[in-house]
Amino acid sequence: MNNETRQPPDSSRPDTLAIRTRNLHFRWQNQARELAFPDIQLTRGEHLFLHGPSGTGKSTLLGLLAGMHPPSRGSLQLLNQELTTMKAGARDRLRADHMGVIFQQFNLVPYLSAMTNALLPCRLSNLRHSRALPSATEAAQHLLTQLGIPQSHWHQGVTRLSIGQQQRVAAARALIGAPEIILADEPTSALDSDNRDRFLELLLTLAERSNSSVVFVSHDQSLAGHFHHRMALEVAP
Amino acid sequence: MNKLKLTIFLSAASLWYRRRVLALVCLTLTLSVTLLLGIQYLRTEIRQSFTSTISGTDLIVGARSGQLNLLLYTVFHIGDATNNIRWSTYQSMTEDSRIDWLIPISLGDSYRGYRVVSTNEQFLAHFRYGNDQPLTLASGDWFSDLFDVVIGAGVARQLDHELNDDLVLSHGGGRTSFSNHKDLPFRVSGILAPTGTPVDQAVYISLEAMEAMHVGWESGVAIPGRTLSADQARNRDYTPDAITAVLIGLDRPILTFQVQRELNQSREEPLSAILPGVALSELWRMMGQFEKALLGISGFVVITSLVGLIAVLLTLQAQRQREIAVLRATGASPGLIAGLYSLECVGLALASCLFALLLGAAAIAGLSPWLLEHYGLQIRLRPLAREEWLLLMAVPLFALLVSALPALNTWRAGRQQGFGAPDSS
Repeated sequence: MNNETRQPPDSSRPDTLAIRTRNLHFRWQNQARELAFPDIQLTRGEHLFLHGPSGTGKSTLLGLLAGMHPPSRGSLQLLNQELTTMKAGARDRLRADHMGVIFQQFNLVPYLSAMTNALLPCRLSNLRHSRALPSATEAAQHLLTQLGIPQSHWHQGVTRLSIGQQQRVAAARALIGAPEIILADEPTSALDSDNRDRFLELLLTLAERSNSSVVFVSHDQSLAGHFHHRMALEVAP
Repeated sequence: MNKLKLTIFLSAASLWYRRRVLALVCLTLTLSVTLLLGIQYLRTEIRQSFTSTISGTDLIVGARSGQLNLLLYTVFHIGDATNNIRWSTYQSMTEDSRIDWLIPISLGDSYRGYRVVSTNEQFLAHFRYGNDQPLTLASGDWFSDLFDVVIGAGVARQLDHELNDDLVLSHGGGRTSFSNHKDLPFRVSGILAPTGTPVDQAVYISLEAMEAMHVGWESGVAIPGRTLSADQARNRDYTPDAITAVLIGLDRPILTFQVQRELNQSREEPLSAILPGVALSELWRMMGQFEKALLGISGFVVITSLVGLIAVLLTLQAQRQREIAVLRATGASPGLIAGLYSLECVGLALASCLFALLLGAAAIAGLSPWLLEHYGLQIRLRPLAREEWLLLMAVPLFALLVSALPALNTWRAGRQQGFGAPDSS
């Protein structure tokens, strides 16, 4: 386990904790090996860089943090709510209300326009809708503009966008309605270096503006400098 | 409510996005629903047309036989009479005060495959079909001369006859006859308007003409020297010895059963009196099995197309895992995603039903004049009956039922969905 921290997390104010895990373990169905994860404690507004070789369970950890599946052991608190005791429906609800996600690629619903894709969280969550100010549509327009999606592309099918543009639309979707946590699974791996740096900069700037915590998974350790914390996952012995 | 709206929105967008692939499935489903609905519709229409072959007639009286046989040869011109009724019996019926009108009918000859019906002016005056509709002449007049003939609309159309054409009738039934009444040609004096009933497929002459034609034919073939020429024939008086059947209308329909019983028990000669409505529905019951089988087959066609639809949706499902992953990660519940599948399936079924309705209406509107013209079938465009609506509504309901398979699949997959699409580790 390797946990480097530039600023100590402000654990004296537990209400500002975004993520807190203790002794987290997960076992996939039909697999004997149980994955163990280092403890995470992330204050709201702080960003975490997560790296490690393939097979160390980076995506699995993100899946646990997103509440897609429950851990087999340990405690997992998001925004001071214990996820392990929640039912699947409540975890879906929590994700819709408080999380934005960005995948490596194929981030968008292919039959919706860029604008509708960006607005999707507002349609799935009333909370996100009410937080998108002044209105959901205007918030989406604002985000798409800031992320550099030309206005002519807003109402087009997303399959016509370049990969870089698609990732930025995904970022707009993750950011809309100011969710407390943003989970990003290697979102820059399909981008060239220019695009990558610009994407990361925009994502972190906009996340800071809404005081969102970003958990960012990447192979590319050169990006680690942008984050408050970094954590490496290692292959279990 | 919001979730439902979102699900409807997403499934509509998804259907539109995949419209090229789904258009073909939708076409298959549309055609099969059109077939199903069309058969049910035509079933009702043909039954209607069939049961309205004869109307207003209270009793049909002929020589003793089964009621179907009597109905078939008097109304549908199918088969032959077993025997005749004596003229005296007919005479005594005319004197019965309970009987309002009688149409005597004599059969036996044909004209190029069409039945020759010899009758009198009562036929035009009292015969009713459909919804109590009387017969009308499209052109010309009812026969007045001994050698006048009135032809049905179907005969006129098929054989291209016009007024004043000369016709040579044949002895006996059948399309090809070797013994023709060629000495006594008939002149077309009138053509009946189309009715869509067997009336269109016959030619009508007077009872007297039937007698005149057969002078000298007592042995079944013409005996030279004993037959008449037209001028000789006109100067004679013909009272038939016998007729084939009588159609009867009563003053008070409540007396129908009483008159029927008396006729059936007549001591003068063995008679059969039947109620046309009862005989018609019995006949329909026999033929109805066939159209039920047809409806069943078309039902299976719809089921087959729905199964095809599910096969296509299941194939598409493999391509949709990424999209499902995105929706799940954004916070959509597995239920919403399963609902997406069900709604898409029902949406397609509804679209197919709508297209089928339009297609069916267009087909009926387009084809009905042609059907009446060429087949004497009267198919009208009418609002759907309750049964047809039920049949139509069963299609999306059934689609919902079969969509449970991909929906359940998705729901299960959605619950076990990890972070990201299954192909990204």
